[in-house]
Formats: sequence, C-alpha cells, structure tokens
Amino acid sequence: MQVRVKGRHVVLSFVLLFAGFIIAFSYQLTSDDRSLRADTGSQWKVEDDLRNDILMQQSVNRNLTEELRLIQSEMKLIEEEVANHERRYFNLVEDMDKLRMLTGAVAVTGEGIEITLDDADYVPDDQHANNYIVHEMHVQKVIDELLVTGAEAIAVNGHRINQNSYIQCIGPVIEIDGNRSFAPFVITAIGESEQLNLAVNLTGGVVDQLLYDNVEVRVEKKNEVLLDPFFEEGVTS
Amino acid sequence: MWLPFIGLLVGILLGLSTGIRVPDAYTSYLSIAVLAALDTLFGGIRAHLEKTFEEKVFITGFFSNIILAAGLAFLGVHLGVDLYLAAVFAFGVRLFNNLAQIRRLLLERWSKKKNDSPTSL
Repeated sequence: MQVRVKGRHVVLSFVLLFAGFIIAFSYQLTSDDRSLRADTGSQWKVEDDLRNDILMQQSVNRNLTEELRLIQSEMKLIEEEVANHERRYFNLVEDMDKLRMLTGAVAVTGEGIEITLDDADYVPDDQHANNYIVHEMHVQKVIDELLVTGAEAIAVNGHRINQNSYIQCIGPVIEIDGNRSFAPFVITAIGESEQLNLAVNLTGGVVDQLLYDNVEVRVEKKNEVLLDPFFEEGVTS
Repeated sequence: MWLPFIGLLVGILLGLSTGIRVPDAYTSYLSIAVLAALDTLFGGIRAHLEKTFEEKVFITGFFSNIILAAGLAFLGVHLGVDLYLAAVFAFGVRLFNNLAQIRRLLLERWSKKKNDSPTSL
C-alpha cells in the first residue's frame, strides 16, 4: 500500500514537474518575446520613419521635376526668342551689308556699264571753248540718270559716289568729294547693264543731250565691274 | 505527500533557468502544449474532487493531449487551416468548464462541511 501510494506520488510529481517546466518555460519565452517585440516595435517605427522620408523625398522630387519642367519650358521660350533674335540679327547684318554697298563703305563687284565723257576734239574758231568741254552738269546728269534707272553703285574716275557726294565745277576741272577729276570722265555703274544702256541711249535721253552739248560719249557694257569703297579723307567709313 | 509540489517547484525553476531558445515559428505549439497541460491538470483536479480520478487516464491524457494539440497545430499550419485556433478554443472552453466545475464542487463541499460542523459541535 505504502509503495503503491509512493509510486503514484512519484508519477504525479513527474507530471507536475513537466507541467511546471512547460509553463515556466513558456512564461520565460513569452517575456523574452515581449522584449523582442518591443525591439520589433522600434524597428517598425524606424521603418515608418524611413517610409515617411521616402514619401517626403518623392514629393520633393515631384516638385523639383515640376520646377524642372517649368524651367525647361521657359528655356524653350528663351531659345525661341534667341533664335528670333538671331534671325533678326542675320537680317540686320544682311541689310547692313546691302546698305554698306549702297553707301559705298565696301567694295562691290558685278555687271555694269561704263560711260566715258570727253571734251570735244574740235572746237570751231567762232565758238567759245566753254561750249565744247565736259561740265560738271553733264556728269551730274549721267549720274542722275543712272541712279534713276537703278544703278546700285557709281564711281567717277574711280571715286565712289555716295549719298553725300557733291560734284563741283572748279574752272577747268571737276571736284567730286574733294577729289579733282579731269576729262575724260569715266563713270562706272553697277546694275543691270542692259537696262542702264537702254536708259542712257534713249532717244532724246542723256547721250543725245550730251552729244547736243558737244560732248564725246562712249558707252560700254561690262560683265564685271569692280568699285572700290568710298574713302573720305583717308578715313574708311 | 509533498513530493508532487516539490516536483512542480523544481519544474518551474528548471523552466525559468533554461536558456533554450525556441524558434518563433514553434512558440504557438508551445503555448498550445501549455494550454493542454493546464487543461489536463484541472481536469485531473476535477476528477479527483468528483472521486472519479484514474491515474492512467490522467497520465495518458496529459501527454497525449499535449502531443495531439501540438500535432494538430502543426498539421493546421501545414494545411493552411488555423487548427491552432480550434485547439485554443477547445482547450479554453474545457479549462473554464473544469474551473467552474471545481469551484462548484468546492462550494458544495464547503457548504456541506458548514452544515455538518454545527451538528458535530
């Protein structure tokens, strides 16, 4: 009886030992786990912070991208403007070139015409010699006619004529912009040579009038005429 | 007579002093085993109070419940069904039933004693 009771107690105590072991172990594990979970909690917090950071960065990036797009469109506008300006500058340069050609600031070349005026060789005795020489008026007339017909550049005896040029009679010679010229006067003009030729040779036109004034006239069409730039007292304008 | 309690104490001390780590995946099995053990213990106490206690039934029930509960949870995890919850529910219900029964029996016994004692005195 005593032995049986003891055996029973031993078995019971073994069962209780096991149960106690399991419970205590589980308790310990759970408490460990809780501290671990606190760790994971902080980890979760860190993760959350990082995620927030990422979101913030993303929004910042989005803003920056928008800004970039804005700046790019602005830049595009500016580029277009610059292109317009360039086109305008190009046009201006072209215009300036043309105007320089017109004002005689640069040398020009092209087809043209050459008209030579010379004093009459023969002067009858009963006439005054004044009626048989080339006057500044004649040169002026030829130049006017050429300009009206559309000559783009004109030179007299190699001296370029521009808008401010003057032609003056000083006795036996003519002064053009301070340069004295003697007969024969070679008037070179650039333009459509055919048209210029026709205009000068019109019946009752310039050539006829000059011939009437006893001036020897020789008109010559030229394929290539080179006119030097206009110099004013040695200064290039 | 004190041997079982000494066993319980030794078991608790052993459990607290062991530094063994169980992987996270198996902690649920352990908790189920704890539940099963508690359930069987309280069942045993109830049976003892009802005077229907049988040692063999208790011991086999103690171990087989633990093993079965853990095995069921294991199976559930591998089948994708939360059998673990079913075990927790079943053991919990039984635990409370047992506790209620124990409380009732104790009350009964106490009141009987109270009724008996005046007559004996």
